[in-house]
Amino acid sequence: MGFRSYLLRRLGYAVIVLLVILTLNFILFRVMPGDPEKMIIDPNFKQEAKAALRKQYGLDDPPMVQYKNYMLALLRFDLGLSFNTQRPVWDELKERLPNTITLFLVTFISTAAVGISLGVYSAANRGRFAERFVVGAGLFAHAVPGFFVQLMLLLLFGYYWPILPIHGTMSAPPPDGALAQFLDRAWHIILPAGSNLVMGFGSWALYTRNTMLEALGQDYILTARAKGLPKRDVLYHHALRSVLPPIVTLIFMSLPGAVSGAVITESIFSWFGVGRYLLDATLQMDYPAAQGAFYLIALAVIISNLAADIAYGLVDPRIRVGAGGTK
Amino acid sequence: MRQDAKAAQRADVAKAAAAATPRPLTFWEQYRRKSQGMVGLAIVAVYVIVAVFAPWIAPYNPKDDLYLADASAAPVWMSKLSAKFRDCPPTIRLKLGFDEWNQEELGAATISPFDDGEGSGIQLSYPATEPRESEAEEDFSFSFVGNAHWNPWASSSPEEPSDQVPDEEISTESGASAQEVVLSHVMQYNYKSPNTFSTQFDYSIDAPDTAETSISVELVTPNGEAYEVWDRTLSGSADSESAIIDARDFDLKMKLGLSFFGEPSQVLFVDRGDYTIRLRMSSISPDGPVTVKISPVAFGVLGMVHGVLGVDHMGSDIWSQLIYGTRIALAIGLSTAFIAVAIGTTVGIVAGYVGGAVDEFLMRVADVLLAIPELPILIILGALFGKSVLNIVVLLALLSWMGIARLVRSQTLSLKERQFVEASRASGAPQSYVMLHHILPNVMPLIFANLVLRIPGAILAEASLSFLGLGDPRVCTWGRILQNAKEFGAFTTMAWWWLVPPGLALTFMSLAFVFIGNSVNEILNPRYRERS
Repeated sequence: MGFRSYLLRRLGYAVIVLLVILTLNFILFRVMPGDPEKMIIDPNFKQEAKAALRKQYGLDDPPMVQYKNYMLALLRFDLGLSFNTQRPVWDELKERLPNTITLFLVTFISTAAVGISLGVYSAANRGRFAERFVVGAGLFAHAVPGFFVQLMLLLLFGYYWPILPIHGTMSAPPPDGALAQFLDRAWHIILPAGSNLVMGFGSWALYTRNTMLEALGQDYILTARAKGLPKRDVLYHHALRSVLPPIVTLIFMSLPGAVSGAVITESIFSWFGVGRYLLDATLQMDYPAAQGAFYLIALAVIISNLAADIAYGLVDPRIRVGAGGTK
Repeated sequence: MRQDAKAAQRADVAKAAAAATPRPLTFWEQYRRKSQGMVGLAIVAVYVIVAVFAPWIAPYNPKDDLYLADASAAPVWMSKLSAKFRDCPPTIRLKLGFDEWNQEELGAATISPFDDGEGSGIQLSYPATEPRESEAEEDFSFSFVGNAHWNPWASSSPEEPSDQVPDEEISTESGASAQEVVLSHVMQYNYKSPNTFSTQFDYSIDAPDTAETSISVELVTPNGEAYEVWDRTLSGSADSESAIIDARDFDLKMKLGLSFFGEPSQVLFVDRGDYTIRLRMSSISPDGPVTVKISPVAFGVLGMVHGVLGVDHMGSDIWSQLIYGTRIALAIGLSTAFIAVAIGTTVGIVAGYVGGAVDEFLMRVADVLLAIPELPILIILGALFGKSVLNIVVLLALLSWMGIARLVRSQTLSLKERQFVEASRASGAPQSYVMLHHILPNVMPLIFANLVLRIPGAILAEASLSFLGLGDPRVCTWGRILQNAKEFGAFTTMAWWWLVPPGLALTFMSLAFVFIGNSVNEILNPRYRERS
């Protein structure tokens, strides 16, 4: 199986998942309590007015036609109007998307950097404090509820020592000058991104350490050491290279989890982002908004899964060269 | 006989064989050596005991016992730790029946306890007064107006405030026509001013229509100042009226001459010492005797400190919520993990053993479900199916069986090629028999370890949902305690005793299950140690 067919297979698979999610989205929001008709159309309207509105919103069409129109609309990012604000949902999402992406990138880069380097370091220094620390941090990340850690950090640094802002993406009103604005935003992002880092680096470090240890136990490492290569060279050129594929996969595999985590992080720190938008819209039964936000999140997850597959194909020689491979 | 001897001989041989070969360690003997596993087991045992005996451990029922103290009251021990809570009052609830009242003045009336079927209390009987002169009514209305604000005559000498007030008041009324009864109760109050206080009692009057009866409540502070906090004048009879005096009521604020934002407790409960609650009743009845019945007077101060962990915004005991939360957390964790593992095992065995199109289909379903972001879909489905524990359990289980299915499938694929399975198949056993009797017992260790490891995930997922406000509003879970704490001001008041315990309870519970799961995995599935 060559790389091309692998890629096509994965691409087709992503499209299927997307279709399933879109269909789910279509069905779910039509069986939700409080059907769209009642939300849009005032019961005091006259019969003719109701009929006109039903026609305008296409509620009289047979389900298959509605489904087709819905799919076409989603492809154009026409997500309808929010019940609450009467603004296009896509416009509202567009305002929030940069914030979510910023928070995600900062969290992600810092977590991956700290986690992977700690993992490599602890694998190279077995039995030292670093290793115990990494194992403990991995357990911590696995067992401690993330939102609890975030609440504690908020309590400590937002209220007890009020050195960091407790909510929002920037000060209101924002300070003058581009640099001041940038610093203001950076100041606001410390707590949400930092709490994600505290929560997340442990599992990364533990995973990196475990794969590194597995690689260091292989025969070719012994061979490399036996022919007199320095420990550092073996560690970084031989071992690290072979654990790169699983780590790259992990990077992309962690994206869906990061999306889920964004909902909680954004609601705790009142971050003006897509995750909080989804939660608020759902709680307020603003279905077009919730639907749109869910669509966007699902799309992000599917794309990141696809990216994980591609990255995996690129770094794994078995797939890249097309020799063997059981997948 | 000979058969018996033979059997005994066989048994001896078996015994000797058993003694010769070392017996393999049982599971428990291996588990006992894992310190991590034993710690986990001990923690879980504590949780289970707490969950089972919750009604006996928890002092209150978190759902029904509300308004135990003032909203967001601190724990009692905080009054020793922090200056902010020093001398804060605990919840004071007095029920003042006949015996608790000191009869200061009776006049012509007689007083006695009563206890009819509906309730008990104080009964006052006035004889008929002498026929009034025409001016009496005018005088009476004067005294009523005079009483509408705090009593100017009351601020007299602190030694004997009880005697002077009634004397003067009687003298302002017309001759001897009003017969006043004064009851008092002295209570100690050695705390800071509370946020709120309240007094409540019911009264009934049985009197001829021409009778005028007035009742008032007075509070005398330690330095002798008397404040009238409630009064009412009624003509004729009244049946089971309620007198409610609450520090939050505007009526009381007006009576004390405060603005809408004034705090009556800052005026009334400033000093420490002996406070006197005084109940005054008087009646003018030319046409016949008057009987007044008063239920025991409930006096309450909502505490600013309460219990082990304080109370939440509704005055519900947080310690009790925490205890009861153990039950629901264990129930959700165990049932979710059980359902998820049951689905995952079934799917995994069927996919692995049957293979072909069935395998392809089931695994693609699992892939799709894995690709759907878990929390967002839970939020939406939770809103769709309604917020109930059962729905949350089912949804969580339906979204978390895929990992187990994959694991079981790969194990089944290797088991399928083993000789005992082939032998069974060759001897004509149906597929279902092979799956149930040969495959299932052999994947059991894998399933068991995964069952334990799945529990903390389920508990944390439910806690996250509750924390986001999507939990069952009828049960108090740890996630919901955290949500309440965040929504109702635990941060601004630094109420860490409201935030930390539920989070720690969650942490220790999931840690314990992770410990147990890892230990079980190390014993039963040494090869899968790194993967799950």
